[in-house]
Amino acid sequence: MSAATAGTEQTGRRRSRGAVESATRGRAWAKTALLAVIFLWCLFPFFWLIMTSLKIEDSALNSPDLFQGPFGFKNYGNVFEQDFQLNLRNSLAIAGITTILCVVIGSLAGYAIARLPLRGKILLLTGILAVSLFPPVALVPPLYELWLKLGLLNTYEGLYIPYTSFTLPLTIFILTTFFAAIPKELEEAAKVDGATPFKAFFRVILPLAAPGVFAAAIIIFVSAWNEFLLANTFAPRDPEVAQTVPVAISQFTGAVDFQRPIGNITAACVVVTIPMIIVALAFQKRIIAGLTAGSLKG
Amino acid sequence: MAGSEVATEPRTPSGTGPGGRRPRTKGVSEKGLGRLFVAPAILLMIGVALFPVIYAFVVSLRAYTGRLYEGYAGLENYREALTDDKFWASLEFTFVFTVTSVTAEFVIGLGFALLMNQAFRGRGITRAAILVPWVIPTVIAAQMWYFMFNVTPGSVNALLGLGDFNWLGEAGWVKAVVIFADVWKTAPFVALLLLAGLQTIPTDIYESARVDGANAWQRFWHITLPLLRPAILVALLFRTVEALRVYDLPQVMTRGSFDTESLSMVVQQYVVQTPDPGLGSALSTLTFVIILGVGVIFVSFLGRELTIGRTDG
Repeated sequence: MSAATAGTEQTGRRRSRGAVESATRGRAWAKTALLAVIFLWCLFPFFWLIMTSLKIEDSALNSPDLFQGPFGFKNYGNVFEQDFQLNLRNSLAIAGITTILCVVIGSLAGYAIARLPLRGKILLLTGILAVSLFPPVALVPPLYELWLKLGLLNTYEGLYIPYTSFTLPLTIFILTTFFAAIPKELEEAAKVDGATPFKAFFRVILPLAAPGVFAAAIIIFVSAWNEFLLANTFAPRDPEVAQTVPVAISQFTGAVDFQRPIGNITAACVVVTIPMIIVALAFQKRIIAGLTAGSLKG
Repeated sequence: MAGSEVATEPRTPSGTGPGGRRPRTKGVSEKGLGRLFVAPAILLMIGVALFPVIYAFVVSLRAYTGRLYEGYAGLENYREALTDDKFWASLEFTFVFTVTSVTAEFVIGLGFALLMNQAFRGRGITRAAILVPWVIPTVIAAQMWYFMFNVTPGSVNALLGLGDFNWLGEAGWVKAVVIFADVWKTAPFVALLLLAGLQTIPTDIYESARVDGANAWQRFWHITLPLLRPAILVALLFRTVEALRVYDLPQVMTRGSFDTESLSMVVQQYVVQTPDPGLGSALSTLTFVIILGVGVIFVSFLGRELTIGRTDG
């Protein structure tokens, strides 16, 4: 609406319509103030997390005042004394492998669904949708039994295999949308030039879909990185082997058994969240495009 | 790798296959390639999603002592599960959690989305900020809100001037706290999905409605909501199915105390803490049927909605 007002006033000065102008301006300010509410909703808890993690000794528990010290980095030292770097390594490896597998398998399937003649496409899409509705907990008892027999408990494989199969439906939805948006003519042109369908996919389509693939990769990584139920069941203990970051954060123990060590936990949380927030902010446009493509397709 | 397979194997299908109508296509036919490309995805989803669910059903019909197989049990495990108070309590909590959190997330998310769709100043930065709760792992959100609501340091109490109120020590309030943490994390995500839907509504519809004298409320009720319906339904579908799976938040915040045990938590217990593969599988099969059932109801509803939308457009 302010665009419309601005349009009618392109020429002369705005003084003549002062009343209208100040009303719109008032509403604009009100909206900005409400936006600030959203902003605080999203970011204040994170600010709380950082301040609390910097409070040392008992100060984190003694006062809700965020600016009351003593402050220091002692909590961060404690976190890495508890082998948190090993948890980070495990999570990076498991989420990384999941991402690679999902992107490779998912882009092949997404391309086939978007572009290639395929019998039973509707049936296939329905099946993929059904898998995306599967509750992961339905896999916990059977996979536990199977992993026990196959020796996959407390291994990377035991986690990234189910993660891949669970994240695949979303990956396929996202990538199908992106592949379908690439102009068909480019592919046709490649074929006229004598490229096989396989070459057309690899040389023409895949590079064009790179932004979409990248968005999908971030979303897959985040969901694998955050997974807790399977990780807590299949690799609950040993950081040396496969215990992931969320499992470690849920289990941090302090000097007293009953009290959760607030300083160590918040410090570990900050270590994990800062890189993720940076990635989210750096690639926000692509992530949002991916998230909305994946669900609106649904 | 897939590359070498494609290079060696494919000549036969392209020569004889019906897909090779255009003779200039070398290598694999498009049909062959399509099948080849979807095969890994299908195999993986069958192997690691469908097969385990069927396997769980088979195991749920067996009797165990500890992990020791004792023979066929028929429906005994299901009888035990369905007469277990724990199962019904967790079902109740899961449903209460789902209905309240999804409702709150939808209302707040819609509010956020409408606001972000209208405002100009600060829109970019808010859109960026909204990704922060999404990217923060649920376990971290759970620990964070646990401490904020806890009596020490009492951050929430200080903010609301509540003194030493023990949020995490009173049955009803514990549930509210768990639900609040979920709403905090996912309302912004719902806002993102709805905002994408809002941006597909052409602005000239609003202009002509305004010319016809429709006020803001009428425009919202008669234009925005109906046109946003597909986006709303998709968001509700995904949120509902996800809320029914809830595990992380109550597991970390309360460990299930004060009747905050979810279905997923109960199933998981019979796998690790008190192993009983038969009963655990029966519970997981029941959970699977309940959640998939809700999902299927939603999808069939959604399918009808979307087809109606398509014939209109």
